[in-house]
Amino acid sequence: MSCSSNHDKNIFLPKNAIIRKASQMTAFETHFTLKMEDESEFIYEPGQIVEAGLFGYGEIPLGLSSSPTQQGSFELVVREVGKVSKALCALKAGDTMTIRGPLGKGFPVSEFVGQDVLIVAGGIGLCPTRSMIRYIMDRRDEFKDFKLLFGARSPDELLFEDDLAYWRCSSDVNYLETVDKPNDRWKGNIGVITTLFEGIDHLDPATRVIICGPPIMYKFVIAQLAKYNISEHHIFVDLERRMKCGVGKCGHCQINDKYVCMDGPVFRYSDIKDLEEAI
Amino acid sequence: MAKVKVAWFDFCCCEGCQIEMTNFGEPFLKLLELVEPVEFREAMSEKTTERINVSFIEGSFSREEDRVRLEEIRERSDVVVAYGACAVTGGINALKNHFEMDDYKEAVYGADKDMPHLDTQDAKPVSAAIKVDYAIPGCPIDKDEFLRVVTQLVHGTSKVYVPTYPVCLECKLRETVCRYDDGDHCMGQVALAGCGAPCPADGIPCEACRGFVENPNEKALEQVLQERGGLSAAWAKKKSQMFTANLRGDA
Amino acid sequence: MKTFFLSDGDLDEFVTNLIAKSPVFAPVAKKTRFVFNQLESVEDLRLDYDTTILPPKKLFVPTKQDLVTFEHGKYEECLAPGKKILFGVHPYDIKAISMMDWIHEESNFDIYYHSNRKATTIIGSNVQNHYKKAFFGSVCKELKVMGHDMFLTKIADGYLVEVLTKKGDDLLPDGNFTDVSKEQIKNAADVNTKADENCPSKLKNTSLEIKHKIRMYYDSDVWKKKSENCFSCGSCNIVCPTCYCFDIQDEWALEPTSGKRYRRWDACLTCEFSEVSVQGGSENFREERAERFRHRIMRKTSFLNDKLGGPACVGCGRCSGTCTADIADPVSIINEIMEK
Repeated sequence: MSCSSNHDKNIFLPKNAIIRKASQMTAFETHFTLKMEDESEFIYEPGQIVEAGLFGYGEIPLGLSSSPTQQGSFELVVREVGKVSKALCALKAGDTMTIRGPLGKGFPVSEFVGQDVLIVAGGIGLCPTRSMIRYIMDRRDEFKDFKLLFGARSPDELLFEDDLAYWRCSSDVNYLETVDKPNDRWKGNIGVITTLFEGIDHLDPATRVIICGPPIMYKFVIAQLAKYNISEHHIFVDLERRMKCGVGKCGHCQINDKYVCMDGPVFRYSDIKDLEEAI
Repeated sequence: MAKVKVAWFDFCCCEGCQIEMTNFGEPFLKLLELVEPVEFREAMSEKTTERINVSFIEGSFSREEDRVRLEEIRERSDVVVAYGACAVTGGINALKNHFEMDDYKEAVYGADKDMPHLDTQDAKPVSAAIKVDYAIPGCPIDKDEFLRVVTQLVHGTSKVYVPTYPVCLECKLRETVCRYDDGDHCMGQVALAGCGAPCPADGIPCEACRGFVENPNEKALEQVLQERGGLSAAWAKKKSQMFTANLRGDA
Repeated sequence: MKTFFLSDGDLDEFVTNLIAKSPVFAPVAKKTRFVFNQLESVEDLRLDYDTTILPPKKLFVPTKQDLVTFEHGKYEECLAPGKKILFGVHPYDIKAISMMDWIHEESNFDIYYHSNRKATTIIGSNVQNHYKKAFFGSVCKELKVMGHDMFLTKIADGYLVEVLTKKGDDLLPDGNFTDVSKEQIKNAADVNTKADENCPSKLKNTSLEIKHKIRMYYDSDVWKKKSENCFSCGSCNIVCPTCYCFDIQDEWALEPTSGKRYRRWDACLTCEFSEVSVQGGSENFREERAERFRHRIMRKTSFLNDKLGGPACVGCGRCSGTCTADIADPVSIINEIMEK
């Protein structure tokens, strides 16, 4: 069957990607490194999403967790929550999953260049923001001061252990971390993510900020940022919704007049702060 | 793909759902290419003691002694599917839950009502006794839905998509003239869909045999049944008892 | 635009010829209501219908539409548009179709919708009888009735026929179209103006006034009050000609290696619509009936206006008529807020 339309692309038809590496990060999260089956380079921006799927099960929206500065492959993290994610998490290296995308609007990188950057990630919120963290680390000269705050519920839920180990000792990033519930081995900070702001005396009001985490986190972090006089125009939030189609049609991710999948998932805080259902 | 071993068990019910399954015809034979029945009282005499991949349970849990049998089935099965209104919600059996036990025992068994083998209790869904992995509601079940759920199950789908919206929506999708537009009453507004709304399409009001949707607006139903359906106040209040006795606000 | 006259007696022959040519979908009676169905014979055609249960968009996006089939790891898109004629579409539904054309075109082109749309010739017809809840005469005046190929207006002894496109032109050999008088043209214009004026229900304000004021009432308790009897059944969404939300699901076939991915019409009034999976369960960002109820009215009166050039409501009255609790009528909600 073929289509006779001048608009040839079928936005619902995915492409195959081969899993090069699949590693279980925590009890619930699996980290995939992928490559398009047709050997084409997957071109995207930090913060963009894909619809990852498996025929017979369905598709789910996922933020890319690798940076486009890394050539030859891209990375996704799947958390087991439902039917599709369970099926995806069972996949192994060499298996195929389907990819539609990249979709939506990512972080406006050019606005971050030449500025101080602060990224605040809670739990699984580290996955999509890692695309930007790695971008900055790979092109470190283009950015000024870089702070990264990461909070997880417990040490068992820390993601990307190798990255964390590197960030802890790297001079390229001022990395602060905390857990809500420590175990016996945990020697770091304890408390919710906002407690990390206690160690930050000063932030340049022009700092560009990214926030991504559980819904409850946004309001508290934004309240902290107000203390440093950071403009709402310079705060970017990465939102999560049930994006079914990923192309601004199905309506599931609509917040007032915005479609998270198409107008986001990254939004400038000043653009959405008055949308009641946003955060 | 190795064949999936399946078994059918029945509790307090009319076994109508099992009969419905034997009415399947060709699709059921096709399903048999994927599954191997190891126990099925309505259709075969064999019984099994081996491990069962999927157990289908019909009927409500309405005697304490059934608990042991249910626990045994759970123990022996990888997956438990409750099917039919009785197993999923308590079904029509649960009508008695709105009466005094002594009254209905006497009405049914008369002088023998206190014989030990006639012991009974409120009719409850199977899930009141054991963990149920999937539910296929309806009185009787819808053959096509059964087939659809089992087909997905056989593929190891961890969660089978089943509608959570009410029957009204399915009537609209098939452009059935609303019972209310036909001068009748209906409970499709609060009834769980998934059946494809065959009854209103045949001119019969929905009785909510699949149970309620989550958060059914019972108060509005009572009002609409009276104001638009022409039911008396008392009748409108009781109307949804038949299939949703365990789900109503007064359960 | 070309204009002709088609006599009452010649309509039958025209429709019969069309049926012989390609499938014709037109309003036919179903008990006390009407539906767009494939015409088997011209006798079933009911141009005097008030409105149909479902809007004609079902021909472009069926209520359940296969998107992709898969087998042994290979997959294929399901596109098989067949030529058809959609006959007897009321002006408000034509407006809604032109909105849907744009919605399925802008940003990301929906090839499933547009391949069906492109294969369809649309013949409109005037409203001869009003649906009890219709208010098309007082809403969405910003958008013109356009995008159709031919339009029939009932006048004395026959129909005034406007031919608007090449697709419409192609049908001219199928009927005995004759010259039309200036008076007949004027009569037809009057008929359509009167249809607008005689709607049983009316909005009292412009779309722009409504858009601004309704948004100001976002936090009002009017939503809770109005939605108290809402069943969250989604009927108002499903019958709406400008609702287009859908859900996508995968389904295995009975053979172990094949299946399909389909979409089905979805409804934002239903509880499940706004659920998001989160660790350990799900969250719902429109958990309350009132929030979902508000979302629909906001969507119809203000959210999509910039995108569409007018409100996403054409005044067909279907939502209002289908609601068993009788709370879905946009006119009563909007007028109540506007009078505050």
